[in-house]
Amino acid sequence: MSVPKLEIINLRKVFGNGSVVAVDGIDFAIEAGETVALLGPSGCGKSTTLNMIVGLEDPTSGDIRIDGRSIVGVPPGKRNVGLVFQDYAVFTHMTVFENLAFGLVIRGRAKGEITRAVHDVAELLGMQKSLKLPAAELGGSELQRVAIGRTLVTKPAILLLDEPLSNLEASARLAMRRELRRLQSEIGLTIIYVTHDQIEALSLADRIAVMNAGKLQQIERTSVICEKPDHVFVAGFMGSPPMNLLRGEIARDGAITGFRREDLFIQLPPSEIVSSGRAGQPIILGVRPESLRLALADESMIFGKVTIVEPRGPEAVVTVEAGAISLKAVVLASGRPQEGSNVGLVADPSSFVFFSGETGRRLAS
Amino acid sequence: MIGRKLTWPLAFVLFGALIVSLFPVFWIVMTAIKPPTDWNASPAIWFPSHPTLVNFKTLFDPDAIRAYGVGGVSQAATTSVYGSLLASIVGTVLSVAIGLFAAIGISRYANGGKATPLIILSGRMFPPAAIAVPFVIIYSNVGLIDTFRGLIAIYVAGTLPFSTWMLKSFVDDLPREIEEAAMIDGRSRLMAHLVVTIPLIRSGLLATTLFIFILNWSEFMFALVLSYSNVTTIPVQLARYVTATAGTLYGVQAALAVLAMLPLILAGLFIQSHLARGMTFGAVKR
Repeated sequence: MSVPKLEIINLRKVFGNGSVVAVDGIDFAIEAGETVALLGPSGCGKSTTLNMIVGLEDPTSGDIRIDGRSIVGVPPGKRNVGLVFQDYAVFTHMTVFENLAFGLVIRGRAKGEITRAVHDVAELLGMQKSLKLPAAELGGSELQRVAIGRTLVTKPAILLLDEPLSNLEASARLAMRRELRRLQSEIGLTIIYVTHDQIEALSLADRIAVMNAGKLQQIERTSVICEKPDHVFVAGFMGSPPMNLLRGEIARDGAITGFRREDLFIQLPPSEIVSSGRAGQPIILGVRPESLRLALADESMIFGKVTIVEPRGPEAVVTVEAGAISLKAVVLASGRPQEGSNVGLVADPSSFVFFSGETGRRLAS
Repeated sequence: MIGRKLTWPLAFVLFGALIVSLFPVFWIVMTAIKPPTDWNASPAIWFPSHPTLVNFKTLFDPDAIRAYGVGGVSQAATTSVYGSLLASIVGTVLSVAIGLFAAIGISRYANGGKATPLIILSGRMFPPAAIAVPFVIIYSNVGLIDTFRGLIAIYVAGTLPFSTWMLKSFVDDLPREIEEAAMIDGRSRLMAHLVVTIPLIRSGLLATTLFIFILNWSEFMFALVLSYSNVTTIPVQLARYVTATAGTLYGVQAALAVLAMLPLILAGLFIQSHLARGMTFGAVKR
C-alpha cells in the first residue's frame, strides 16, 4: 500500500492553560488527488485543524505527515501547502499580477518563469485581462479568484480551502463552485475543504469528515455518509432536512417487538438490534425525512397534526407533531397536506437507522 | 454646491465655524507683516498699508532685536527653529517606530497580556505640569538637562501612548489572515509584517506620524523647564518675545508663529488624501 498524501495522527490542540480543547485527538489519512470536506458547526475545531496542517498553529501533541514525513515544526512557507482564506487575504496594496506572483518572488524564481506561471494561472481562472488592476478595485468573487490563484501558482502538494465561498453572493458562489470542480479535475490536486455548507461538501468532496467539539465523528465517502451515519451527531447534521431522531426504548408488546416513546409504538421487524433481549434499553431511532410518506387509511405508523408545510419546488417539507415528538417528512408538492390537518405517516422499517441511547453510536444491523 | 447634503443652514453654520477658526490665523499673518507702529494700534489695523518683512528679519538677526532696546531675547530664532526641527523629527520618528512594533505586538501576539495597552496609556494620565518639576530634578541629577537627548527622550515617552494606541487600532482593523497568507507563501513573521502589514496601514501610519509631529512641534512645558540655552524650541522662543524683559514684540512673535505653522500646513497638504482615510480608519477593503 502506498503512503497516503497526508496523515493526521492523534492530533490535539489545547488553548490557554489546558482549558480549551479545540482539537481532541483526531486521526485520518487522505490519498493523493482526493478531495475531503471537513464539515461541522462553527467552533468544532475544523479551522484549527487546518491551521495546524498549514503551520500557523503548532499542535499540542500528535503528528502531521505529508508523503510519510512529519511536518510538525516546519515553517509554513516550507511545507508546500497552500491555504485559501475565507476573507480572501488578498494584498490590496498590490496589483493582481503582484498578488499572483508573490509566492514565486519570495521563492526567488527567475522573472521569466514568474511571468509565465502567473499567466498560466490567470488563464486557468479567466483573469488575464485584470492582471494590471489594483487588487483593491476587485469585487468579491474576483478577489477569491486571486486568492485561489495566488495559492495555485506555487503548485502546493496540498490545497486547503477555509470556507472559500461563504463570503460570496449566492450566484457567485454557484459559479465559483463549478470553477472549483473544474480546477479539481484539471489539476488533480489533493484538497481539504472546510465548510459548514453541506451542499458544497456533497458537490465537491470525495469524502466528508464530520467534526464536532474537537472530535472527528466520521469520515466516509460522500455517497455513503447520508445513508449510514456512524453517530447521531452526523445523522442530525447531514441532509436537509436532517434525519428525524427519536429517543425512546426497545419495547415488547406481547409477541411484537418495537420502538416505544410514550404513547407512540412502532412495530419493527425482528433483527439483531430489535431482539427481545434488548427490551427496555434506551435507543435512538433515525428516520430519514425522504423515507417517510403520507399513509393510506390503515397502514399508519404515526398519527399527528401538520404544523408547518414548506414548499421546496417539486417537493415540500412537512412538519408533523405527534404527541411529544416532531417529525419532518419530504413529500411531493402536489400531494402535500394542509397545515392543521391530521395525517398518518408511514416508512419502510428497513430504512430505519438505530443509535445507542447512551453513546450515540450507530448500532450495527 | 448647495444640494441635498449641504443645505443652506448647514452651509451658514460651517461658514461661521470657518471664520471663527481661521480668524486667528488671518490676524497672525497680518500682524507678522505689520511695521512695529501698527502692531497694537488703536483702532486696530486690519490690513497693513505698508506690509513689511522686517519682523522676519528681526527674528534671525540678533542686532535687529537689540535695536528695539530690549535685552530679554539674547538669541536669534535660528537656534529654536533648529531645536524644534531636531527634537520633533527625531522624537516623532522614534515614537512612531516604537509604537508601530508595540501596536503589532499587542494586536497580533497580545504581548504582555491584556493590561499592556492600558499600562502604556497610563503614562499619559498625569498632567504634564504635575510631573515637570520632578523631571527637572531627575534630569539635573543625570545630566540630561538642556540636552537634545533629554528632550527627545521626553518627547518619545510622552507621545508613545498615542502612537501605540492609534497604530494598534489600524492593525486591529487589518485581518490577520493577510499576514498568515504571506507566511504560507514563505515569508517570516517579521517580513510578513514589513511587506504586508505596514504597507496596508500606511494611511494610518502617515496620519499617526503627522499627529505625533504636531504634538511634539507644539510642546511647550517640558521644553521650557528642561532647557536653558543650548536647546530651545519654537514655542519657548515664541513666549520670550512677550515678557517683562523683552517687552511686547507682537510682530516678531507673529512672524515666528507664521513660520511655525508652515511645516504643518505643508505636511497636511502633502498627505491630505491619506489623512482623510487614516483619520476615518478602516483602510482595508474586506
